[in-house]
Amino acid sequence: MDPILAQGFLEASVRVATPLLLAALGEMLAERGGIINLGIEGAMLAGALGAALGASSAGVWGGVGVALLAGVLLTLVFVIVSVRFQADQIITGTAITMAAVGLTGVVYRHAFGVGGAGLTLPTFKPLVVPVLNRIPVVGPALFGQSVLVYLSWAAVPLCWLLLFKTRWGLALRAAGEDPEAAAASGVRVIGIRAAAVLLGGALAGLAGGTLVLAQVGTFAEEMTAGRGFIAIAIVVLGRWHPVGVLGAALLFGAATALQFLFQAMGLGVPYQLFLVLPYLLALVALSGGMGQARIPTALGRPLVGGQS
Amino acid sequence: MGALLVFLGCGASPGGPDGSFRVALVTPGSIADASWNAGAYQGLLLIRDSLRAQVSQVEARTPSDQEEALRTYAAQGYALVFAHGFEFQDAAERVAADYPETIIVITSGQRVTGNVVPLIFRLSEATYLAGIVAGSLTKTNKIGYVGGIELPPVRMAYEAWSQGAKSVNPQVESRGTYLNNFDDAVAGREAALAMIRLGVDMLHHNADAAGLGVFQAAKEHRGVYVFGSNADQSDVAPEQVLGSAVIDLPGAFLAVSQEVLEGRFIPRVESFGLESGVIKYVANPALASRVPADVMALVQEAETAIISGALQVADRETGRVIPGKR
Repeated sequence: MDPILAQGFLEASVRVATPLLLAALGEMLAERGGIINLGIEGAMLAGALGAALGASSAGVWGGVGVALLAGVLLTLVFVIVSVRFQADQIITGTAITMAAVGLTGVVYRHAFGVGGAGLTLPTFKPLVVPVLNRIPVVGPALFGQSVLVYLSWAAVPLCWLLLFKTRWGLALRAAGEDPEAAAASGVRVIGIRAAAVLLGGALAGLAGGTLVLAQVGTFAEEMTAGRGFIAIAIVVLGRWHPVGVLGAALLFGAATALQFLFQAMGLGVPYQLFLVLPYLLALVALSGGMGQARIPTALGRPLVGGQS
Repeated sequence: MGALLVFLGCGASPGGPDGSFRVALVTPGSIADASWNAGAYQGLLLIRDSLRAQVSQVEARTPSDQEEALRTYAAQGYALVFAHGFEFQDAAERVAADYPETIIVITSGQRVTGNVVPLIFRLSEATYLAGIVAGSLTKTNKIGYVGGIELPPVRMAYEAWSQGAKSVNPQVESRGTYLNNFDDAVAGREAALAMIRLGVDMLHHNADAAGLGVFQAAKEHRGVYVFGSNADQSDVAPEQVLGSAVIDLPGAFLAVSQEVLEGRFIPRVESFGLESGVIKYVANPALASRVPADVMALVQEAETAIISGALQVADRETGRVIPGKR
C-alpha cells in the first residue's frame, strides 16, 4: 500500500476506534463488577446529544461536560433498576437503549427545531504533537488527532490501575466473581457495582460525545448506529482487560477503515463483502480466542440474599 | 429498537372545508435530515396550511413498523397517507387491501395497485446535471458518491451522477460507497474522507442524515466540493456546496392532496422530471463564481435536451435510469 493511503488508513482506524475504546472500557468496568449493561448504546446516544447541546452554547469543552453528564444520568436509571433493585439486567439495558432513541429524537427537535443543528457545532481541531507527528506513516495517525483521542488512550492505563492496583478494583472484581463471598467479607457489593456502572456510563457518554465533537460536528438521530453493542463485543474480544480492549477496539477500527478504503478504491468486488468485514473479523477473533477467555463468574447475576 | 414510533405533529387544526380532510406522512428516517425526509415534512405542513387539513407524521424504520404505521393511519380513516420511499411498496399494498378508502401515495414507488399510487421522481435528471458540473470542474478526474442503503433511487443517483460527469469528461473515474444506513453521519464522513484521500475532489451523496458527514469531510479539505440531494442543501455548507439535485416535494405533495380533497384524484403513475419544475438542479448562488459560464451553458444545453426528450436519462414511466453508453 502506498504511504499516503497507509497513512490515511491508520488515521481512520484510530478515529473509528476511539469511541469504541471509550465505551468498551466503561462496559469492561461494569462487567468486571458482574453487571452487563446493554444500555450503553443509549448512553452513547445521550452523550452525543449532550455534546451537541453543550457545544452549541458552551463550546467544545462544554460539550464534553454535558456528554459525560448525559451518559451518567441515563445510566443512573439502569443503576437504580438493575443494580439497586436487581431487576433483569438484559431487559433493563435494552429498554434504556430503546427509550434513549425516542428521547434523544424528541429533545433534539425541541432544542434545534426540525431543521436540526446542521454543521454549526464547534469541533475539536487536531492537536498535533510536534516532532512525533513527523514519524513517517504512523506519525499523523498517532500524534495528529484530537485531544479526545489522547484522552481515550490515557483511560487505558487508568482503568488498569483502578482495576488491578487499588483496593477498590480488588473489591469490584470480587463482586464480579462471587458477590456473596465479597459481601460476607465486608464489600458493599451494590454500592461498588453502582459506582463502576456509573463510571462506565460517563465513558459511554464521552464516547458518544466524540462522534459529535471530534468527528462529524452535528447530531443525527440514531447516529450511534450500534456502536454501543459493538463495544460490548469488544469487551469480550479484549477479554475484560484494558490492554486487550485497546487492541480489540483498534482491530475493529482498522477493519472498518479498511472497508471504507476498499469501497472507495472501486475494486469491483460487491461492497456487501466489505461492509461485513468488521463483523466477520470480530467473529473470527472471538471464536479463536474464546478458549482462554475468563468471563467474570457472576456476570449478569444479582447478589443473592441480603442487601449490602 | 425500531419498534419505537414517535408520533409527532398530531395537530388538532380545524381540518378541511368540511373539517375532516386528514393527511398523514410516514417517513423512513428523521425529518431533521435536511434532505429527503425534511422535504416531505415541509410538504405535509404546506398541506396543513394550504388545504386546512389535519395532519400527522410518524417515523418508521423497519418494514414491520412501516406496515404498522400505515395500518394505524388507514384504520383511523385518513383520506391520504404519504409513504415516503421506495421501501414502502409491499407494506402499502398489504394495508391497502384492507382499507380501500385510504389513498396511499408512495414517493419513488413502482406501480399502481388499487388505491396505492406511486409518485415517480426522475431526480436522476437533475443529478445528471450535477454530474456535468462535477465532471467539468474536477481537477483530479476523480469524483465520489456516498449512498445510504442501496435502494433503487439511491443506486440510480449514483448512475446518473457518473453518466453526467462522463458525458462531458470521459477521463472521469467515478467511485461509490454505500453505508447501509441513513443515520450514521460519522460513517458518511469516513467514507468521504477515504475518497478524498484517494484524490476525489467532487462529492455527491444520497444518504439523508448520514450525508451530513460528507459535507463535514468537504469542509475540512480545501478544494473539495459537494453536491446536495433531494433538498437545496446550499445552506448546509455554503462554502463547499456547488449545487443540489432538488425534488420540490412540497409542491408535488400539495398537487396530489388538492386532487384528493376535491375528489378528482384518479389512480395513476405520476412522473416528475425536469419538465415539471418539481425536479431541478439548483446552483448555490454563493459559489456561482466558481462555475464558469461555459459549464453552466453545458448544463442548460443538457437540461433543454432532457426536457425535449432528445436526451433520455431516465425512463418516464418507471423512472429508472437508462444504462448509459454516454
